[in-house]
Amino acid sequence: MVAVQPIGEEISQETDNLLSVTGLKKHFGGVKALDGVSFSLKPGEVHALVGENGAGKSTLIKVLSGVFPFDAGEIILDGAPYTPANPHNAKTHGVQVVHQEFNLLDHLSVAENISIEAMPKTRLGLLDRKEMNRRARVALDAIGLRDVDVRATVQSLGIAHRQLIEIARALQSESTILILDEPTATLTERETKRLFEIVQSIKAKGVTIVFVSHHLNEVFAICDRVTIFRNGKTITTEEISDTTPTGVVRHMVGRKLAEEMEHGIEPHARGDVALGIKDLCVTQNPHDAGISFDLHYGEVLGIAGLVGAGRTELLRGIFGIDPLRSGTIERDGIPVKFSGPRDAIAAGIGFVTEDRKDEGLILEMPIAANISLANMHNVSASGLLRFFKEKQQAREGGKRLKLKYGKITDPASSLSGGNQQKVVLAKWLARNPKILILDEPTRGVDVGAKAEIYAILKGLVREGVALLIVSSEMPELMTLSDRILVLADHQVKGALERSEFSEENILKLAYGQNTNAEGIS
Amino acid sequence: MAEQSDVLAEPTGRDFSIRSIINNAGIGLALLGLILFFSIFTEHFLNPNNITNILTQITINLILAVGMTFVILVGGIDLSVGSVMAFAAVVAGKAITLPGFGPTEVILLACIAAVTAGFVCGLLNGLITSYWALPSFIITLGMLNIARGAALHVSDAQTIYSFPFAFEEFGSAQIYGVPVVFLVALALVLLAWFVLNRTVFGRLLYGIGNNEEAVRLAGHPVFWYKVAAFTICGLTAGIAAVVYMARLNIASPIAGIGFELNAIAAVIIGGTSLSGGRGSVIGTLLGAFIIGVLANGLILIGLSDFMRQMITGVVIIIAVILDYYRARYAKK
Amino acid sequence: MKFMKFAAVAATSIALLAGSANADDKPVVGLIMKSLANEFFQNMLEGAKEHEIKRGDYELRAVGMQNETDFESQINAVENFITQGVDAIVIAPADSRAMVRPLKRAMEAGIVVVNFDVSLDADAKKQQGIDLAFVGPDNRGGAKLAGDALGELLGAGGKVVIIEGNPGADNANERRLGFEDSVKQFGLELLDSRTAHWETEEANTVFSNILTAHPDTQGVMVANDSMAIGVVKALESAGRKDIVVVGFDNIPAVGPMIKDGRMLATVDQFGQAMAANSIDLALGVIAGGPKLEGWVKTPIELVKGN
Repeated sequence: MVAVQPIGEEISQETDNLLSVTGLKKHFGGVKALDGVSFSLKPGEVHALVGENGAGKSTLIKVLSGVFPFDAGEIILDGAPYTPANPHNAKTHGVQVVHQEFNLLDHLSVAENISIEAMPKTRLGLLDRKEMNRRARVALDAIGLRDVDVRATVQSLGIAHRQLIEIARALQSESTILILDEPTATLTERETKRLFEIVQSIKAKGVTIVFVSHHLNEVFAICDRVTIFRNGKTITTEEISDTTPTGVVRHMVGRKLAEEMEHGIEPHARGDVALGIKDLCVTQNPHDAGISFDLHYGEVLGIAGLVGAGRTELLRGIFGIDPLRSGTIERDGIPVKFSGPRDAIAAGIGFVTEDRKDEGLILEMPIAANISLANMHNVSASGLLRFFKEKQQAREGGKRLKLKYGKITDPASSLSGGNQQKVVLAKWLARNPKILILDEPTRGVDVGAKAEIYAILKGLVREGVALLIVSSEMPELMTLSDRILVLADHQVKGALERSEFSEENILKLAYGQNTNAEGIS
Repeated sequence: MAEQSDVLAEPTGRDFSIRSIINNAGIGLALLGLILFFSIFTEHFLNPNNITNILTQITINLILAVGMTFVILVGGIDLSVGSVMAFAAVVAGKAITLPGFGPTEVILLACIAAVTAGFVCGLLNGLITSYWALPSFIITLGMLNIARGAALHVSDAQTIYSFPFAFEEFGSAQIYGVPVVFLVALALVLLAWFVLNRTVFGRLLYGIGNNEEAVRLAGHPVFWYKVAAFTICGLTAGIAAVVYMARLNIASPIAGIGFELNAIAAVIIGGTSLSGGRGSVIGTLLGAFIIGVLANGLILIGLSDFMRQMITGVVIIIAVILDYYRARYAKK
Repeated sequence: MKFMKFAAVAATSIALLAGSANADDKPVVGLIMKSLANEFFQNMLEGAKEHEIKRGDYELRAVGMQNETDFESQINAVENFITQGVDAIVIAPADSRAMVRPLKRAMEAGIVVVNFDVSLDADAKKQQGIDLAFVGPDNRGGAKLAGDALGELLGAGGKVVIIEGNPGADNANERRLGFEDSVKQFGLELLDSRTAHWETEEANTVFSNILTAHPDTQGVMVANDSMAIGVVKALESAGRKDIVVVGFDNIPAVGPMIKDGRMLATVDQFGQAMAANSIDLALGVIAGGPKLEGWVKTPIELVKGN
């Protein structure tokens, strides 16, 4: 079916490779995370690693950067065998990683973070703050981050800037290979563009870049070659010029999911108003005017906007997590007041949060326990847990969402990102919510799981559930939504009907070039 | 393919508790090792009377540690239990020496007084910590002083003594060599185990310790759960006060100094994570045993007081290091 | 420089304030005690307060500590009393060495200092060049009284155990030495000697364990009565009525035990009167009496059952 690139002599014979990996194996207990991975890097190329979550990309990166040792196989770097003992060792070999999870110290300044590995010292052995700030300035300028004050604390910066600071830090030391692990996952379109410019300039300096991403359009925009992973194996390496996104997806998922992705939501009847939002002001809103809209049963309302437009704040306000400054919420036409998530949940609302790890899941606890977290009444009788019922509920939820897991009692942390997101969904679906609020529902989720999540959401809409979705991925919003509301600066800048959907239209509103509408219903 | 194998891989047993037993095996082996060591190198260790002694000696620490387990599981700490125990004891001591009542009445009154005093202190700890989202370390440090001061104030710094005979009987009663007070502690352990592992309340306490926000967003009143954890801890301090009085027939306002640290040590040696969310009360039971066996065995072996203190410290550190490796192994 | 000036002004104004505080010409006595959580010192304080009312010719300012070893607050208290310009400081030092230097400053400021309860370290006094009398009981002698009572009963070869107070505390050391004197004099056999930090519960635990290791124990010398209670309880639960216990302090709680023979004896050092006696001595010096010298021993008495 799929041509697996032959392992062995053919690759190691290529002498012009900067790095070549042959037959790499790594297992954790019984799980084969890497089961014979082979790929190579040419000097100065941008090489994409793609594959569903759990396919082995992250493990490979961790092996290359010295976090884990490998069990079998061979890595040749610059013609010599390479077995990094620890991350520091990998760095001295010129292998730098910008991780998906930030390794920044929030309370320290940008400059301190950039210099953390080698703080400049004065002759007295004290910290040379001036030199530290200067180096940081140079490092930031090198990637075009001229607008960031090196003395600002990392905490005060947006998520996108933090990403770029990680890159600046990685580039500060001499690196021959820079691995970017899903660098665009949290970035907006514009920030992504900026990142790509930076990638191009780094490439021009002769640095080889490994680019891990779920976004094939990005892969096709900046990469020279792509290696595809599935189930701990490398499937193939292709020149970008010789392949297409559809071809890559087919290799990735091994089934024809591409079509599912293309399908928009089919036309359907819009029901009564499920949720009426009237002039809602969150406390962060600097203006007097709030946000108003109606969400109907059987409708998907998308909310677009740049980072900082107030999208997440709006959702948290509706769900009763953060207090509201003013405004009213009507549920089925009746004014309600949610003093906490408990009230919102009682009103039939579910909330899939943006941040899976901090807000959505209890990673150390079993999958089943996570699914029952919002449904304790289903799995207990007079305060006592009914374990059989709990597992049953979890298995049913898992089946419905095509959840891939070992045992239902395994900790949620054992799952890949996409499957973790499915657990969060299963938790809410087990309540049969009338309204489901989703914040970045497919962040860090691989293509296969993404398609499955889309299919589920579409199914919910058919059943008459009202969906309110915030997403930074415009294709996602345009695929799923019936209408899209564009926010900027805590205000509704416009609403787009399906026929008006285009990235250009959304961006125009998001950048505040059009202010034709305030309240839309 | 994948979906099929998932279904087949589905287990049927109660592996949650089996896993917790395996997790506790390390600490159990350490305890077994200690017991073996002392049995070989001392003459009297396995003497039934000595076993009775050990059980008596760990009782108070065990009771306090059970409550402490709840607080630590939700990511808190309670430094006040020793002082709260002393406060509960002197309040109960005042009650039990009230003139004009029969022995049954005063004993009952004293038990209620001690448990109420503990309950109130724990409730205050919980309310203040949760309402202002303040570190429990500092709030309970405050309570440590308040309760100690209150104990001294109520008792005028005098040791209260001469309790009804029946109460003394309870403190020294044994069933087949097992002290009744230890059975009380054991019952508390089992009750705590049941609450933590078999109830929604217990499940959510673990959840809060791991990810408070996720539990809150799932619509649970996290505030009250945390208050409850601290209140349970206060309650156990009250119960410990009753046991203390029954065992020694005095209520001293300076009782229990440093007991909080012993209780925390038992919980941590028992494998409960100081950052919350992971651990078990069975581990706490084993932890209390390790501390008790060590204190007993080192005296039997004839080691000096100072060496004894050093070795106890070393054991605490080793236990935490072992726990680090166990946690790492469990993750893989 | 500026700061020094400011400090000088501040010091003067405080002195002025202090001066106005004792304008009614009664001498002011500063009493510094150890932990008031210890009922021994609590009782002593009560005694001193009653004494102040009874005499009526001086003003008492009393300070207690957080715990037995909190000598830092004692140093602060001495400094405060110097600033307040009291006429006499009567102190039970928490540390026999650390307190010497601040007390020297008090003496240099013309304050009459009386050291009671625990004697200051002789070497430290010599080093600082001060000569200060000690008013207090002979802890060692007292312990020996109790130890002798036990020794007489058991006779040569009697097997005994000592339960000590806080290691490092002077009265704990003295009492242990007193017990050891008795052991030597009566040819007793010392099986074990351990601390229980003055604590009932710990004494109970520690002694239970000692008893397991040495079931042949015949007598126990305990450095205070709180611990003696724990020892007696351990004997009760072990069902051993043949082992004899002696304690120290004569606190009310051991009264019944001495009466019914669960304890052989304890030592009364009349703590309640000790502070008051020291204040009398201090007032005597202020009134122009002779300087105190050497060791002014306060009475001690062996308390035995019938």
